[in-house]
Amino acid sequence: MRLSSVSSKEIILADQPRLSLGRTVRIAIDGVRYRLFRAAVTVSVIAVAVAFLMNILSESLIKRRLAVDARRELSAMRDIHGWAARLTRPLDPAAILMEVAAGGALDGSTAKGGVIADRASFAARARAAASYLAFFDALEYDPRRALIHTARGTAIFDALSDPEHFTIFEQRLAEMPALRFVGSLAEFRAFLDRWPELAVQLQGVVSSQEHAIAALNRARGDRTVFAALAQPDGVFVAAARAAGFDLDEATASRLTEQAQAVLDRLVIERSLSLLESRQLLAQHFNLLPADISANELWGYLEKSRQAASYLGVMRPLVAALEPYTAERLAALATTRRDELALERIERMTAGAGEGWLGLGERMGWLLMVSMLVCAIGISNAMLMTVTERFREIATMKCLGALDGFIMLLFVLESCFLGLVGGLVGSLLGNLIGYGRMAAAFGIGVFGTVPLGETLAAMGSAVAVGVVLAALAAVYPSLKAARLAPMEAMRVE
Amino acid sequence: MNSERRVIIRTVGLKKQYVMNDVVTEALCGVDVEIHDGEFISVMGPSGSGKSTFFNMIGALDRPTSGRVFIDEVDVAQLTAEELAFVRCQKIGYIFQSYNLIQYMTALENVTTPMVFGGVMSDEARRRGMELLELVGLGDRWHHRPLEMSGGQQQRVAIARSLANQPTVLLCDEPTANLDLATGQDILDVLRSLNEKKGVTVICATHDHRMMDMCDRLMWIRDGAIERIARRDEVHVEVGSIGES
Repeated sequence: MRLSSVSSKEIILADQPRLSLGRTVRIAIDGVRYRLFRAAVTVSVIAVAVAFLMNILSESLIKRRLAVDARRELSAMRDIHGWAARLTRPLDPAAILMEVAAGGALDGSTAKGGVIADRASFAARARAAASYLAFFDALEYDPRRALIHTARGTAIFDALSDPEHFTIFEQRLAEMPALRFVGSLAEFRAFLDRWPELAVQLQGVVSSQEHAIAALNRARGDRTVFAALAQPDGVFVAAARAAGFDLDEATASRLTEQAQAVLDRLVIERSLSLLESRQLLAQHFNLLPADISANELWGYLEKSRQAASYLGVMRPLVAALEPYTAERLAALATTRRDELALERIERMTAGAGEGWLGLGERMGWLLMVSMLVCAIGISNAMLMTVTERFREIATMKCLGALDGFIMLLFVLESCFLGLVGGLVGSLLGNLIGYGRMAAAFGIGVFGTVPLGETLAAMGSAVAVGVVLAALAAVYPSLKAARLAPMEAMRVE
Repeated sequence: MNSERRVIIRTVGLKKQYVMNDVVTEALCGVDVEIHDGEFISVMGPSGSGKSTFFNMIGALDRPTSGRVFIDEVDVAQLTAEELAFVRCQKIGYIFQSYNLIQYMTALENVTTPMVFGGVMSDEARRRGMELLELVGLGDRWHHRPLEMSGGQQQRVAIARSLANQPTVLLCDEPTANLDLATGQDILDVLRSLNEKKGVTVICATHDHRMMDMCDRLMWIRDGAIERIARRDEVHVEVGSIGES
């Protein structure tokens, strides 16, 4: 009458098998699908937190790129100012040391120093000197005053060459354990012993520069160096070469162009000193004449029709405006606008890429707090899920589920929510980031950051979401796993 | 009559105490009982009598404070967590008053869950699950979720689930309490026929007097102790006298 298979089941005890990850994932996802609304709420908590992180990441990436580009372009545009300085006065010895240490630019950017026989050893010692100078420059006021008093530049070496001074320096340095001297003191000592030699060499460079500049000054006459460089005939450039400055063709033509731009800008902006021009612009912009600045002027001149009317009013009054046409003014205004935009980007991205993720201390703190709040939110949601599902969990345990399975089920569920939330959040954060950056810097921001970098940032943001969700789920999952199976028997 | 049968559940001096806020409550105070293979036993007792605690003990859901529980001659107290899970999965089928089906699974998935935990391949689990659903008369409802079924149907799915791994013991905790009379009768019929045709040991906590008509033995629990155990034919006379006492 009885089926033998049932009652003759032998008493074989074994460990309950562990479920494969694939099956657990499927059960977890089924559970999530059944509680879509709760899942959606949790996902949106994660998405908001990840979006915040991603937004900061993407903005910092964009800003860093923009800053690098803007700085490069601006430094090319400002080449002329460096050259103008070099062609009119010798560098001071400390600047020469820095210059040489930075890449042996002694030949390229300053007049040739004929007195130096052994260039290689000079460059090596210049590098050492530059590193010592950099150390002293970076000091705070108090330790600096204690160590070298008020000496600056190469005067530091002059002062420390005095053995008495050096002993004091050594003692004071020993009293500052937090301060690490660059290199060993013995080396510094050796360097100082030979410092007078280097000082003489430096003086030689300076005097040869002075000599070259004196020669150049004769060629310049009473023109400014800008006016001289702007002359397209190349006479001044040839004179500079003859005096020993390494000016190649490309640099020379670039300098000519830039010098002309400097002169143009001066002429045009100087015209603002006349009330007539201010009145014209004040009418156009509906401002008080006193509030008109160069920026309004450049904005006005961008349209060649307006440039023509400006010329019409101003040409009779300002002789220097005589050679300018409306088209040329408009072209200059456009160039100036680009330059202003770059300057603005440089200003707004100042400090980008510094510190952790390019965040300031406050932003980092805010981010930490938001992540913490998110983790607590997930934890709370998972705890509620566990409480809600206590009967289901207990039933599963009655049916033979292991504690590990229950734990994994909830951690997986949370990870899954973290993944979805992370993906949504990283997309959202990127969108917001690009949107804000585009609003601030124009649509040029699209395409500034390489796709790989963006994807890496998104990947790490998603990873943060998943890890956060997994960590937040540990306690609720433990609670679920520890639930007694007899809870299933309980009747509400 | 049961002397030649194997003892499937045996308790020796079973005690259970609950400690709550330093107050010790004695839920079971020394229960000795033997249940044989293939028996149909009704456990009666008012609420708070220790009936549920007794069920938790013989169902390997909780550990006794003292005394021993042998399921199939294996001492439950000696088992590791993994082995306990194995016993719950393979040896015992549970049927709950409130069905406790997993809401997001279909009837078939619910029935196959214990097989999944037991490591049965999915094709085999599916085949056996369909067989069990047909056995309880729900072969055509396999793809329905618990919310799409009536209470009686849900309880029948729960019965099919409890049979998933061919357990030796079926523990039923008031299986008919949430059902109307006719549906309750259906469930009782299913249990009875399982007991008769498949030889499954059925232990039923119940207040349902119809249960008395079909069980082999009746067990009364009161204040954490067995008040009385009697065979049905001995009790039958007594049933009439309940109203008079």
